[in-house]
Parts: sequence; structure tokens; C-alpha cells
Amino acid sequence: MDPKLRINSEALAKSSCQMMGDTSRNFNLGQPFIQFNPINLCYGGGPEQTFPEFPPTLGTEARSLYQPEPEVKSANQFKPSPNVNNTILDWNPRLILSNLSFLEQKIHQVQAIVQSIINQESQFSNRANEMFAQQQLVTADLTSIIIQLISTAGSLLPSIKNTLVSTNPSAGQLGSFIGAPTSFGLNVSQQQNAVIPMEVPKASACDKLIDGLNKDSCRKEGSELIKGLHGHGNEDVELIKCLKSDSEGTELASLEDHDVKDSDDGVDGENLPPGSYEVLQLEKEEILAPHTHFCVICGKGFKRDANLRMHMRGHGDEYKTPAALAKPNKESTSEPALIKRYSCPFVGCKRNKEHKKFQPLKTILCVKNHYKRSHCDKSYICSRCNTKKFSVIADLKTHEKHCGRDKWLCSCGTTFSRKDKLFGHVSLFQGHTPVLAVDDAKVLGTLDQARPNEVMNDMVGTLEYNFAGRTLDDVQSLNIKGVDVGTGCFSPMNFDACNFGGLDEFLHPASEVSEGPFSFLPFGSSNLIQGSGQN
Amino acid sequence: MMRTPQPPDLIMAVLSVDLLVQILDRLPDSGDRKSFRLVSRGFLSAEALHRRALRVLRREFLPFLLRRYFALESLDLSACPALDDTALAAALHTAGGCQGLKAVCLARATGIRWRGVEVLVAACPRLEVVDLSHCVGIGDREAAALAAAGGLRELRLDKCLGITDVGLAKLAVGCAVLERLGIKWCMEISDLGIDLLSKKCRDLKVLDISYLKVTNFCLQSVSCLEKLEDLTMAGCSQINDEGLRFLNNGSNSLRSIDVSRCNNVSTWGLVSVIEGHKCLQKIVAGDCFPELVPLFLTKLSGLRDTLNVLKLDGFQVSATSLQIIGVHCKNLGEIGLGKCRGMTDECISELVTYRADLRTIDLTCCHSLTDNALVTIADHCKKLTCLLLESCSLITEKGLDHIGTCCTDLKKVDLTDCAVNDTALRCLSPCLELMVLKLGLCPSISDKGLVHIGSNFRKILELDLYRCTGIADGGLAAIAAGCKSLKKLNVCYCVRITDQGLKHLSFLEELSDLEMRGLVHVTSAGITAIAVGCKSLVELDMKRCYSVDDAGLWALSRCSEKLRQINISYCPVTGVGLCKLLGSLRCLQDAKLVHLTRVSVEGYEIALRASWDRLKKLKLLSGLRHFLSPGLLQMLRARGCRIRWVDKPESFCLPFSLLL
Repeated sequence: MDPKLRINSEALAKSSCQMMGDTSRNFNLGQPFIQFNPINLCYGGGPEQTFPEFPPTLGTEARSLYQPEPEVKSANQFKPSPNVNNTILDWNPRLILSNLSFLEQKIHQVQAIVQSIINQESQFSNRANEMFAQQQLVTADLTSIIIQLISTAGSLLPSIKNTLVSTNPSAGQLGSFIGAPTSFGLNVSQQQNAVIPMEVPKASACDKLIDGLNKDSCRKEGSELIKGLHGHGNEDVELIKCLKSDSEGTELASLEDHDVKDSDDGVDGENLPPGSYEVLQLEKEEILAPHTHFCVICGKGFKRDANLRMHMRGHGDEYKTPAALAKPNKESTSEPALIKRYSCPFVGCKRNKEHKKFQPLKTILCVKNHYKRSHCDKSYICSRCNTKKFSVIADLKTHEKHCGRDKWLCSCGTTFSRKDKLFGHVSLFQGHTPVLAVDDAKVLGTLDQARPNEVMNDMVGTLEYNFAGRTLDDVQSLNIKGVDVGTGCFSPMNFDACNFGGLDEFLHPASEVSEGPFSFLPFGSSNLIQGSGQN
Repeated sequence: MMRTPQPPDLIMAVLSVDLLVQILDRLPDSGDRKSFRLVSRGFLSAEALHRRALRVLRREFLPFLLRRYFALESLDLSACPALDDTALAAALHTAGGCQGLKAVCLARATGIRWRGVEVLVAACPRLEVVDLSHCVGIGDREAAALAAAGGLRELRLDKCLGITDVGLAKLAVGCAVLERLGIKWCMEISDLGIDLLSKKCRDLKVLDISYLKVTNFCLQSVSCLEKLEDLTMAGCSQINDEGLRFLNNGSNSLRSIDVSRCNNVSTWGLVSVIEGHKCLQKIVAGDCFPELVPLFLTKLSGLRDTLNVLKLDGFQVSATSLQIIGVHCKNLGEIGLGKCRGMTDECISELVTYRADLRTIDLTCCHSLTDNALVTIADHCKKLTCLLLESCSLITEKGLDHIGTCCTDLKKVDLTDCAVNDTALRCLSPCLELMVLKLGLCPSISDKGLVHIGSNFRKILELDLYRCTGIADGGLAAIAAGCKSLKKLNVCYCVRITDQGLKHLSFLEELSDLEMRGLVHVTSAGITAIAVGCKSLVELDMKRCYSVDDAGLWALSRCSEKLRQINISYCPVTGVGLCKLLGSLRCLQDAKLVHLTRVSVEGYEIALRASWDRLKKLKLLSGLRHFLSPGLLQMLRARGCRIRWVDKPESFCLPFSLLL
């Protein structure tokens, strides 16, 4: 075979592999977009192209629809956005002090009200109607106080002001931005979790208040109370915050051990003594909310703060300043901030703070991933193997990168993507042995007998065309010797099946022109290579 | 079978079967047994009853032999030509299975693939020993088939190039009672496979992992094998001292370790092995690190009572180091000091003064040794059986005289390139036990010397006279008259030899291996004599015998039925002769056919087609690759034949393309 041709086909196979990772879909989706046109031109440019720049150029926008960028820490997400930082110029300590004392006053009021609820609750704990009336009353009071709090706090530190401003629209029943129902809860959480404990000495009182609520009343009521506080737009958003020291007392209820595997959640091996950190617990709806950052003006939701900042530029020149666009710097206060850890809202889970062997989650992202992985349906199904299901889309993406690479097969039917994993498995279990590639071929020969086996399914050819090419490469790289010439792993028929199936299904009309001539090359070349290797 | 309708043998009335079996117990020689078989049917069946081991030389008799020798325990099919899966399966089927068979040797049986192995394993439920070494086509699938033999204890897979970790894993899981395993040159096997092996086969006693690309991790796994006694890891260049330190824990029962040619192993690694195992009997450390440090030598004293074999080829030695070895290693029987630098007569005397019971001394390429060394060896080591002195060019007949008079037990002497003469051979004449004598590159030896050999060394089995240009036909006559049991003879480039000499040699009926390259005066008449006389001939090398033509090949093809290997490169033979040779020799498996200028492509094609099912190895000129038909080459390959394409300059020959 012409070496040049082979190189080209290899390059193509490689690039298609890369593409397959997670961008092939984007590529197809991306066709209508104008900004993809130059790439398409490039792609169609000629066989010499090795497309090194191809995967990165594919739109970040399309990708960000699915998954959060790994580098985005939840800490960033919950940092106040710097969109109102222009007020930083008229910064007056005296004013702040007076505002703070006002806030303190108001918080005391809130505390008193809630305290009264608690007192009454202990008396009429089982009279639901009375409780409800009581709550409504208190809610009204609380609302007015909080509005005052917010408006005052608006003139405080720029950072605080910032959050408050962003809170403002949704906080108000006065607010007209019903379009962003979840933004309030999140932003309140910013305010209460991140800002107040550090800036306002009395904030802990507020915490305690809510904690007490949480502790003494049954939890539903407590959360409903806060729900009411948030108003009609925020009914599905709640925030409960408690200190570990407080919540320890409530762990009397014996809970089932849900030993959910979530080693990915980034807290294993961390041995913080109980009480040395603050435990936060987001509610289910909050965790599952698609967006965590909302535009205070139009209410549009974003997954990332940076995207929100980019978006804010459209709302006026004040959002275009370098300060507004800068990444909000971490507040480096002199006193060491309390370490924050998160609890899973699922009662009985090991990650729930009421669990006996509670293991906190490190970041919000961990919470999200953990909650989805452990307590949600696995709704994403791998389109290649049709067996693996995932609840986190990133996991699906990761799996898809390796799906079909599970070429290491044990006699028990388990597949492994790595040889050492298979060998570890074999050494653990008595009587298990690795399965040879030729045994695969046998099964492949009788395709009618469907086997619940990924490798087999992959080979049958419900695959995208470039995946088929990769499978072939993989099998060749297997290097399992002793395959008889006559009983090779792959008959030409199978190549064709894979090939055409893939082409029909997945080739986009626009890319067909450029890819058509090459899409066959990997098969042809590898077929030849295989043939010559065996003879 | 014994009770045939024929009149009963009178002799059988006297000698019952169990008496015959008793007699057979005392007949070790195969020739004697053959005579015994031929006495009568009764004797034949008694022999069949008694026989436990069988080596098959012809495929067509295999089913018959397996049926007759039903009590076989060991079957050697390594020399069986044209053995393939179908043949083996058919033979085992007609024999109705070999219930008692415990050992099967299939070394170099390149036609055997997984189907054959599967059938073999199914037919022999008691299989314990299998040798598949040098079956280069053997891969994971064959290993998987073999893994069905759960009782396997010993397995040799040297140079089974296709076996990977997966195959080894199959074997490790399937054959958990494996005790001896050789996977030398199975280049695809890595640490993972060895790791799994050492987890699954806890009974391993002997392990050979030479030349594998394994790292220290592998030794960590191996160090957990409690019963391991013998570890050979020659040429594992990725293993270093760190790895050997894993063997320091002493959890093995190591008796023998071979780290020769492990470039990255140093004294420290070896010291840690010695520290961990106080019962080491054999240390082979040749060509791995250059210096003998004192620590190593002092550690050897810890093995004073056990160490029996010490090979230190290629080290820098001194008189003191050898003195320490001599003083400490009380039990030393064999020492290898080949290519050691700094080796002097003094070193030898320091060693042998303390170690009088040395049996084997290897002094290959110790160039500065003189007769004094031989004198001291002779004075002290009276029990010496093997003395290797290749390229010790300073020694003379004076030293050998001492050796000859004192060390009369000598069985093997290597004097290659030592410039010895006829007198030296006379000096060695008291060594009546001599079985192997190598005299290559000693041009001063003449027929007189050979007369000494012929008249004294009656038991000699192997004689190497490579480039002893002084010898002629008369010497060969003396050899042929005296050394009746000679099996291997090398007379390459002894150009004075003619047909007459070969006629003398033809009286050597035991001769199985004859190398006679470059005997330009030898014609087909000489070859005919050899073919007719040397009935046991298995290997024949007559490269560059420019006077041998088709007639020689005709004689060989008619008479040398056992011929397995032949080299007729550069001989002026034609396609007809070649075709006859390859077509009629039923045992021929290895042919070197380079630069046969008078053979056309068609000649090659026809000859190879005539023998395609038997050939296992073939050496051809690379130019032929494009002229031979692809179908033929494919067929050859499918039968397990390996073709070595050589690209040699055609120094003496016309390019074959001109002869097309």
C-alpha cells in the first residue's frame, strides 16, 4: 500500500477518534452556525489536513450546554458577580457601620419573631391549622424586615451590595422578574452562606434562628416557612443552613446506611474533625437546577459566572468595565474563613449530615454530581452500547470516549478497558479467565445470538462510522496472536455493515463531501494491514 | 496379541512375559532393544508392554505405534515430520486415546495449532509434561487449549512468540498445579502475566523468564512463590538491583538463580539475593556486571556448604578474589571463568589449591593462561571431568601432558584455537573416558594426531576438527576405525579430505551429524558412500562442496532415510536433484538452499511443492521471494514452515536471474 495513503488514513482515523470524544455531535449540530464554516472549509481542504485544531475550535457554547467545565469551582459559582462594582468609588466606612447596626437591629427582630414561632410551636405542635395561620402572619413580618435588610445592605460593601443587587429583583414580591424563579434562592444562599457570616457578627444569630427552626419544628414546616419568606416566585427554592455543632444533636434518629459509592466526589481521604467546618445543605431542586447564575436584569440563567459576566455586557456600558468583567477575587479576609462542606439532602445517605458516619462533600459541584449519581435516575444512555446509563452527562461523555474499548473480556462476561484491571479481576476470582479475541470472533460469527455484551454490541454496527474504524484499530492493537487465518476476527461483511450503517445514520450532508472519500480508507488500509500481518 | 493362532514359540514357553520384561529392564541401548523386538512376536509384544517412552520419526507410523504401545507414558513428537493437527487427531483417535500418557514433547512441531493441542489434551487426561518450545506459531489460543489440562506440572514454551499475557493467564488459571514453567523468549509476556501466574500457580518450583521484557515488579510477584527453587532470568535487561531486592525476603526456597546478561544487575542485587537465601546451590552471573566486589565475595562465604555451581563469565578477577572463592566455597564443583579479565596462572593456582574437587572448569578465552595453570589444575583437581580451554593460545603439550596423566576422568576437553599439535593429543591419550573433544582451528594437527584419537578415545561421541587443515583421509580412516560410537563430526574446511576419507567415515554407523563444509575435493561418490554407510545420519552440512552434484543428492534421497537437516548451499546441483532430494526424504524438515545457481525458479517451485508439508525451516535467497508462487509460500507458512530470506552477496555464483 502506498505509505502516504496509509499515513493519511491513519491521520484521519486519529482525528476521527478525537472527534468522537465528545465533539462529533457538536460538529453535526454546529453545521447551521456561521462560525463553523471556516472549519468546514478546512476540513474539506484536502487529505493532507491532520486537523489538529479541530476539536478545540468547536464551539464552547455548544459544549457548555451539557456540562460544566471542570475547572469551574463551585466557589466561583457562588461568588458574587462583580457587575455592580462601579459603586466601589463612594465607599464610606461610617455609612457602613451605621448600616451594619441597622442590619443587626433588623436581624434581632427576625430572631425574635422566629423565636416566638418556636415557642408557640412547642405548644401547638400538632395543630396544623394554627401553625399555618401563625406562619402566614410571621411571614409577612419577616418579609418586610428582610426587604429593609436588603435595601440597607445594598449600600454596604461593594461585594455585598453586588449580591444584594442581584438578589433584589427576585427578593421582591415587588420584583417584576418572575422569569427567574430559582435565582433568588441561590443568591440568597450566596448572601447568607458566604457574606454574612464573615461580615456581620450577628449573622450567626440568624443562622441559629433558622437552625432552631429546623431542629425543633418538623423540617417540612421549617422549610415551608422559609419558602413563604421567599415569596411566590421562589416556591421551589429553599435553603437550610446549619452548623455542624448544632446538627449533631439531631442525629438521634437512626438512619439506614446508604453506602453509596461516590469516590469521585472529592472528599475521600479528607479527615476533618467534626465541627471544624461548616456544613451546608442545598435542597434537591436547587441541586438539580440547570443554571446557577442568573442575570439580574433579564433573568437569563447561566451555568457559569463567566458566561453571565459576558452576558451582562449587553445590558449597558457599566458592565463592560474591566472591573466588572474581571473574575471576582476571592475575599481574603484576615481571619481564616470557616471551611465549608456540603451535605446531601437525601436522608439516610452517607453524605447526609444526619448519618452516623457522615462524610461531607467538598464543593457544590461534588454535591451536584453526587446527588445525581446516587439519588437520581440514570437517564443518559450510551448510544453505542445501549446498556450503560448515567445520570451525569459528563460521565456519559467520559464513557463514550472509552465505550467499545472494553476489549479486555473476562470469562464471566465483565469487560475492562485496561488489561491490568482485567488481570486484577482474574486474580481475585477463582476460575475466571481472560477471554481471547478469537472467542469474540466466534460470537461475532453467530450474530443472531444476541449477547448482553458491550463488545459484541459495539461490533454489530449500530455505530457511527468512525467508531467502527476505531474498533478495528483496537482489535488490531490487541495483538492477540494465534488467530487462524481462516477464522479472523472480522469478516469483510462486518466491516461493511459497520461502515454503511454508520454512513447512513451519521454522515451530515455537508461533511459528506469532505469525508466521503476518506471514510473508507481506514477500513481498506487496516484490512490490508491485517491481512498482510497474518500471512 | 501374544496368543496368536500360530504355533507358540518354544522360547516363549521358557521365558514368560514377565521374565522378558525383566530382561528389557536391563537393556538400555536402543539398538539392543531393536534386536530384541525382532526375535519374535512374543518378544515384540513383551517390548510393547514394557515400553514407556517413544520417539516418533515418521508421521505415517504414528497411529500404528500409538496403538501398539498402549502403555506409553512419554511421547516425543519433536522429530516427527509433517505432523499437523489432523494427523495428530487421527493418530490419537485410532489409538483410542492415550490414557496413560503423561509427557508429550512437541518441540518444533510447528504444524501443531490449537485444534491439535485441544485434541491432545482431550485424549490424554493424565497429561503432566508438555513441551511446545520453538513452536513459533503457538499463541494464546493454543495456550487456552492447553489450559484444559488441569494436571499439567511441567510446561516448556520457549520461543512461543505468540503467547501473550492473556495466554499465560489462561494457563495460570487452568493449570494451577504447574511446577515447572519455561517461557523464555515469549516476548509478548509482561509483568502482568507473571504477576497473575505467581498468584495462581503457587506450586511453581522452576521458572524460566529469560529474555522477557519484564521489570522489577515481576520479581516482586515472583518473590511470593514460596516453593520456587530455580529462577532463570538471563538477559532481562529491565531488571535491576531494586528488583533483586524483592528476593531478599527469603520467602522462596531458591536453590538456583541465573542473572546472566542482566545488564542492570550489579553486585548489590546479587548480594541481597544471597542474603535472603542461605541454601543457594547455583549462581550464574555471567556478563552482567564487570567487577567482583569484596562484599559479594564475603557473602559467598555464607553459602560455603551449599554453593555448587558458580559462573562468573566476563568478570574482572584477581588472585585474591579467586582465593576467597576457593577458600569459602567448600562444595564448589563447577566454576565458569570464561572471558574473565585479569585471569592469570596465579589466579588459577589460588583457586585450585583449596578446591581440589572441582569437576568442571571453564577457562574459555582466558588468553594469558600458560602451561603453569594447567600444571596446577592437574596437580590438584584429580576428579576433573570437563576442561574448557578455548582460545588459551599459550598452552602447549607440556601442560596437557600433566592434565592427561593426572585427570584421567576427563570427559570433555575443548582446545579450540589453542594451537595444539599431534603431541598434545598423544599427551591426552590416558583420558580414555573422553567423549567430547574439540580441536577446531588447530591446523598443526595431522593424521598422526587423529591416529592417537582413534586408538585411544573409543568412547568419543563428538569430535570437532573445524579447519584442521592438516588432516587428510588417513586420519579419518583411523577415526572411523577407532571411534565407533562417534555421533557428531565436524570436518569443515579440512580441504585435503577427498572421497576416500568419506568412504572411511561411512563405516561410522552411529554418525548422526556430519558437517563437511567447503570440502572441495569431495564429489558425489563420497557423498554416496556416506549416504549408504551412515544410516543414522540426521544432519548433513555440505555447503560449498563445489564438486557435489545431483548424483550425491540421489544417493542421499535413496539411502539417508533419517536425514532431517541438510545444507546444500553453493553446491552445483540442479533442479532435478533438488526435487528428488526434497521429494523423497520423508524426514527432511530443515533445508538451506542458498545460491544453488543451477536450480531454476521452476526447479525450486517443484522441489518445494514436493516437500511442502514436511519442511519446518527453509533458507532461501531473498531474490526468490518474488519469483516463487504466492500460493506455495502461503502453503508453506500455513504448515508452520519458517522461511529465512538471506541476502548474501553472490561471491562465487552467477546471479540466478541470469539463468532463468
